[in-house]
Amino acid sequence: MPPGLDALKHIVVLMMENRSFDHMLGSLKAVNQEIDGLDGSQGNLDTQGNQVLAQPLAEFQGQLDPDPDHAFPAVDQQIFNGDQSNPRVPSMQGFVKNYFQQRQDVAHSQKIMYNFTQDQLPVLTSLALNFAVFNRWFSSIPGPTLCNRAFAHYGTSFGQVGMNVFYPQRKSVYERLQEAGHTAKLYYFDQQSSSLEVVNLLQHQPQLFGTYDQFLADCKSGTLSDYSFVEPNYSDHDNDDGAQLASDQHPDHHVQAGELYIASVYNAIHSNPALWASTVLLVVYDEHGGIFDHVPPPGCTSDGYSAGPADTQLNYTFNFDRLGVRVPAVLISPWIPKGTVVSADRVFEHASIPNTVTSHFMGAYAAATAREKAAETFLDLLSLPAMRTDNVVFSM
Amino acid sequence: MNDARRKKKKAVDQIDLTAAPQTTSDDPGDYTSIRVPIPPASAFNRDRPAGCLLQAQLRHFHHAESGRLPREKRDGRHPEEIKTEAEAAAYIAKITEILHPQRRRKPRSPKPNPAASLAAT
Repeated sequence: MPPGLDALKHIVVLMMENRSFDHMLGSLKAVNQEIDGLDGSQGNLDTQGNQVLAQPLAEFQGQLDPDPDHAFPAVDQQIFNGDQSNPRVPSMQGFVKNYFQQRQDVAHSQKIMYNFTQDQLPVLTSLALNFAVFNRWFSSIPGPTLCNRAFAHYGTSFGQVGMNVFYPQRKSVYERLQEAGHTAKLYYFDQQSSSLEVVNLLQHQPQLFGTYDQFLADCKSGTLSDYSFVEPNYSDHDNDDGAQLASDQHPDHHVQAGELYIASVYNAIHSNPALWASTVLLVVYDEHGGIFDHVPPPGCTSDGYSAGPADTQLNYTFNFDRLGVRVPAVLISPWIPKGTVVSADRVFEHASIPNTVTSHFMGAYAAATAREKAAETFLDLLSLPAMRTDNVVFSM
Repeated sequence: MNDARRKKKKAVDQIDLTAAPQTTSDDPGDYTSIRVPIPPASAFNRDRPAGCLLQAQLRHFHHAESGRLPREKRDGRHPEEIKTEAEAAAYIAKITEILHPQRRRKPRSPKPNPAASLAAT
């Protein structure tokens, strides 16, 4: 076993909100050609037939208002450009046309193609360039937040393609670990933001939860659980510490607040040398939020569920056999070679999270869905024979 | 950074990331410090209408509240009556306190929070 895996005691996942790979990391192709980002040729036609190229004109706030549609039917149009035939090929040509429907404004609809430059996102891009960036990490479903997040918690959404994932019939990764004698925790930002995993876990298993303050304390004291899932702040609000700015990066929340949050999570781990040596951090986004990405989502192993027309709001049944749009994903550990780009031959999705965590701490888990069992795992990326001694630190 | 690391530190490059981030050196013990920009005060808007994600979260908290609390102890509001992010946060905090009670904590040093100093907002 590689020494990095021997040393690995903690896996931490930070899941952000609603940004596509090209939108956040597409600019990095200019830095490293292995990164499958933007080269200036990718585009969509708008509703008037004009070619709209992806351009580095994204703004931190105020540009994607209204929030781009990312419900199942909208994402279907973004991916297939309205093609309802069978079989059909994902073209990634429907983003501008879909966004046009919300404001009927051609100029505004073109903004769905905009991406950030490297210098606008110093935290995410520095981590991507210094550790491992995935060329093919897709959201699990071409749909919205909660069904996608369910794949990170359960390895399935139990047939749901929307926001109501209630009463799961399978154990979450946290329950599996605890029953096997391991420790696991979900950390939400504060009580005002709380968790998105309300109905199933927070309501019935509050012992699984902690706050972000506790995460920071656990990192400092070296008492972090074997597995930790960290949630950002989902709203602008006040608490005992004053005004709290949403850090989830969900449009139209300020993207720089999310950069600070990612840096804070990273620094909390990095500032404890023993924890840094024994922890891997995955920063990943739940779904693309309706924003352009140029890589067509591939097919995947079905999880055995299906969603009929009443759920998909389209005239077909979805068998959970195709992934959603590509999202940013960065894996961070001192055991990862600097500048690792995970090739396009390896396809990851959110079911990769429970599969990786469960496999590492427990070994094979027979009760997982076929989808989860088929999902790629990522700990082989901790491949160095010795721990790196160079360091990236963020000052805030 | 602990003392051992501080001793090993060869140089801290304070990089202004309005320029592209610089890469780290491969030298043992080398540090690159990257300054993270702070969002402007104008980014904070507690009166922003609650978006689709918060609305879904409110519905889920309402579901939990309805299932767990006797009628007289419920907030009484329907999720559709909650309009802003601050209103959503207040309701969510109220129900979270019931589902996941927190011990009163001592004052602590502030966590990185770009809005903490926005007293005027």
